[in-house]
Amino acid sequence: MAEIKLLTEHYHKPEFQTLDGYKKNGGYDVLKKAFKMKPKEIIEEVKASGLRGRGGAGFPTGMKWSFLPDNGEPRYLLCNADEGEPGTFKDRLMMERAPHQLIEGMIISAFAVQSKKSYIYIRGEYTKCLSVVRKAIKEAYDAGLLGKNILGSGFDHDMDVYSGAGAYICGEETGMISSLEGKKGQPKLKPPFPAVQGYLAKPTIVNNVETLAAVKYIIRDGAAAYKKIGTEKSAGTKLFSVSGDVNKPGTYEVPLAYPLRDLIANECGGMKGKLKAVIPGGSSAPILNADESNKVNMDYESLAAAGSMLGSGAVIIMNETRCMVDMLNVILHFYHHESCGQCTPCREGTGWLEKIVSSILLGRGRPQDIDLLDTIAQNMKGRTICALSDAAALPTISFVQKFRDEFEFYIREGRSKVTGQPIKRKNIKGSHHVEMHH
Amino acid sequence: MLKCTINGKEVQVKPGSTIIEAYMKAKENIAHYCWHPGLSIAGVCRMCMVEIEGNPRLQIACNTTVAEGMKINNTSVKVKESVEWTLGFHLINHPLDCPICDQAGECGLQEYYMQYGKYEPGMAEHKVTKDKVVDLGSKIVLDKERCILCSRCARFTEEVSKTNEFGIFNRGDHSEIGTVDGMPVENNYALNTVDICPVGALTSKDFRFRQRVWYLKDFDTVCNGCSTGCNIKVYFNENGLYRVKPVYNEKVNGYWMCDVGRDVYKFADRDARQVKGLRNSNNQVSQDFAGKIALEVSQHLNSQKADSMAVVLTGQYTVEEYKDFVSFFKAKGVSQFYHWINNPDKLNDFDGILYRGDNNPNTKGLAKTLADEGIKVKPWNELFENVESSKVKTVVVAGPEIQKFYPDLESVFTRLNKADTLVWLTPGKNDLFEKANYVIPTKSFTEKNGTFVNHAGVEQKIKKGVTVVSEALTLSDASQLFSGKTAVGFESNVSKGHAGATL
Repeated sequence: MAEIKLLTEHYHKPEFQTLDGYKKNGGYDVLKKAFKMKPKEIIEEVKASGLRGRGGAGFPTGMKWSFLPDNGEPRYLLCNADEGEPGTFKDRLMMERAPHQLIEGMIISAFAVQSKKSYIYIRGEYTKCLSVVRKAIKEAYDAGLLGKNILGSGFDHDMDVYSGAGAYICGEETGMISSLEGKKGQPKLKPPFPAVQGYLAKPTIVNNVETLAAVKYIIRDGAAAYKKIGTEKSAGTKLFSVSGDVNKPGTYEVPLAYPLRDLIANECGGMKGKLKAVIPGGSSAPILNADESNKVNMDYESLAAAGSMLGSGAVIIMNETRCMVDMLNVILHFYHHESCGQCTPCREGTGWLEKIVSSILLGRGRPQDIDLLDTIAQNMKGRTICALSDAAALPTISFVQKFRDEFEFYIREGRSKVTGQPIKRKNIKGSHHVEMHH
Repeated sequence: MLKCTINGKEVQVKPGSTIIEAYMKAKENIAHYCWHPGLSIAGVCRMCMVEIEGNPRLQIACNTTVAEGMKINNTSVKVKESVEWTLGFHLINHPLDCPICDQAGECGLQEYYMQYGKYEPGMAEHKVTKDKVVDLGSKIVLDKERCILCSRCARFTEEVSKTNEFGIFNRGDHSEIGTVDGMPVENNYALNTVDICPVGALTSKDFRFRQRVWYLKDFDTVCNGCSTGCNIKVYFNENGLYRVKPVYNEKVNGYWMCDVGRDVYKFADRDARQVKGLRNSNNQVSQDFAGKIALEVSQHLNSQKADSMAVVLTGQYTVEEYKDFVSFFKAKGVSQFYHWINNPDKLNDFDGILYRGDNNPNTKGLAKTLADEGIKVKPWNELFENVESSKVKTVVVAGPEIQKFYPDLESVFTRLNKADTLVWLTPGKNDLFEKANYVIPTKSFTEKNGTFVNHAGVEQKIKKGVTVVSEALTLSDASQLFSGKTAVGFESNVSKGHAGATL
């Protein structure tokens, strides 16, 4: 099956960034259609479409919207454009190429959940995104698409952009809310969930860029048409940001359940070298070996059954030249650096994992370190407020299980089984074992 | 009420209660660091893991509410392993300085290590090191690498004192507790953060290195630092009194006390005390047993006309003492009673948390006793006029226990000392007092039984916890000696000092 282009249909057109260009291609027509519907009808349509959150967790979007309490309090809609997962860059592309598509999706979503105020939380490093989206919002205001009585619908909505200061965990919905509230970007305990008590302790819906943009197409084509794409439990198209050892890395929109092998072969122009492993859903997802990668389809259920996850759709492809000890260290270096420090297993565990793998890379590994890595990770998994601890633990467990021979070789020989040489990189921590005397 | 089962024990809890509250109610042990009943829930230490029947994942007890019929345990192997591992995570970067840590003996890490730990350390890498002995002002010393980031102190200064000095800086295992630019933590509730710190990260400058906690004994009493009457625990050993900590009382002080109250042990300790009775005859000062001085005063009082005597009372004694003291003088025909109010301008001040402008624990108890006895106190200034005009020839003062709260002490003493005879009863020493005709040492709040009535009218019993000055008298003792009616065996105590546990 070839690409199905819903969200990315007009990406190649430079005019799609501007309001005029967007309108020429049918922009904001769906908003007019949405305003003729009742908010609850939109929610039901989104529910019926089977749309699941595209940020990583995959929670059913319509169901999340229906959790909002009917208590008369102001509601907020937050667009999560933090996109901090290594390997993920699909939202950046969408914001840069089709900012009005996001804005239209957001206005429809805000109308559905009856929110009068929304924020787009964009990570500060995305400077181009920030300026493009801000410009598009201004255009929308000038055209009466935002503000009071939008298109004469009687619906008022204000939208703003917030530039994050840069922390992976600000992409987690409660961490993002903390950051937006002007606090340190740290996840909050759940319950209460944001839908009940979110931004400024008011009912809040947090959705990813791709999720909100997809709403437009569900309303345009109808839930039934959307649900026909993909599978029963993984409906619609999905943007995958593919990086690594392929000939054409990039962002590709394909129907969910598209075979990973086909994604590599068809969309990405095939492998550079021989396929060794794939991280299919961003750096926090468990790694798949070549055999598993060749068999798996890119949807929530298939990847879960294969022991990994769809996550944010960041597909990181590795060929036979990649040392898995080195790769794990890169991942752990990131999660150690990004742990917010609240929960003990994450705060202490991420650093501990990185130190052990660094020790191995520096030729100071101990035979027991392999099992220790697995045990530490097992005891970090599922024990914290948010999923960052899991994000470090799950890759660790899978790397150690699936590429144990490379860890054993490195510990035994003091060099990489793949390169034949010790791995040398600047970010390998100069940690070394303390001599234990008993 | 909801029924749930905690480690096989059925308990009923109010709807909305968390599992950890159910554990407290069931009196079952549950490990925890960050949870504190007086603070918001942080849920970060991850020690309070429990297993809920039907739920495959362990949950934290502090942020999970009880549902009807829930069956919860923290005794399974799964939970114990989880807690052991979480403790291990707490310890991997913790310094091995228990021998020099002021918290040794009452450290949460030590306690849970004995309960859950006792394993070979898996951590073979270098620990993360952080700053030690960070000076946070006049009260607190911070050791950043001992901190387990439970955030109790930060939540306390945000939620209770509302002064916001503490914060957690940096990320991951480089997170550390601190204040902006090391700014001092000088608010009047700062030492509560030392109390609630589960490890030795925050230590009190006042207590630091003065005593190993396992040598200390303690007793509960009521703070005599102000009219709130916080419930406190006083720690002591044979060398003296060492510190004071709050004791939970929902109706009075909750979990906290102020830092002014932290000093009350100092005024009760031996160094601050009048330990012997004094007599000053023709500027010749001589010491004697308190009881003996009291008997001499008795003789003097018998020789005086009732209308030439005045009694001055401060709000620092117990209801029972006032009753005996006032009754004695009333029976004698004395009608001039005066209430020495230390700071009338600030008497009704309140900081909104606990501390009150009235620095006496029993102003209400004094007022109630006088009212019960049908005595109307005389206007304060009239006393000085009557002394100066020699209308009053003898003044008996039950002086303050904490002299620093009486800024007019010296001037009042000097003006009252113009009387022919000044009898000064007091627990605290002061060179000034040697100018009085008689000085009778009285017992401090740590040494007697009785009742304080706080600003809100709450009657609170205090119990004798320790004897610091063995021959000091209560006002009741003094009244009895003034009357000349000593009980059998009492006279021997008068000369030998009271029996009892002494420092």
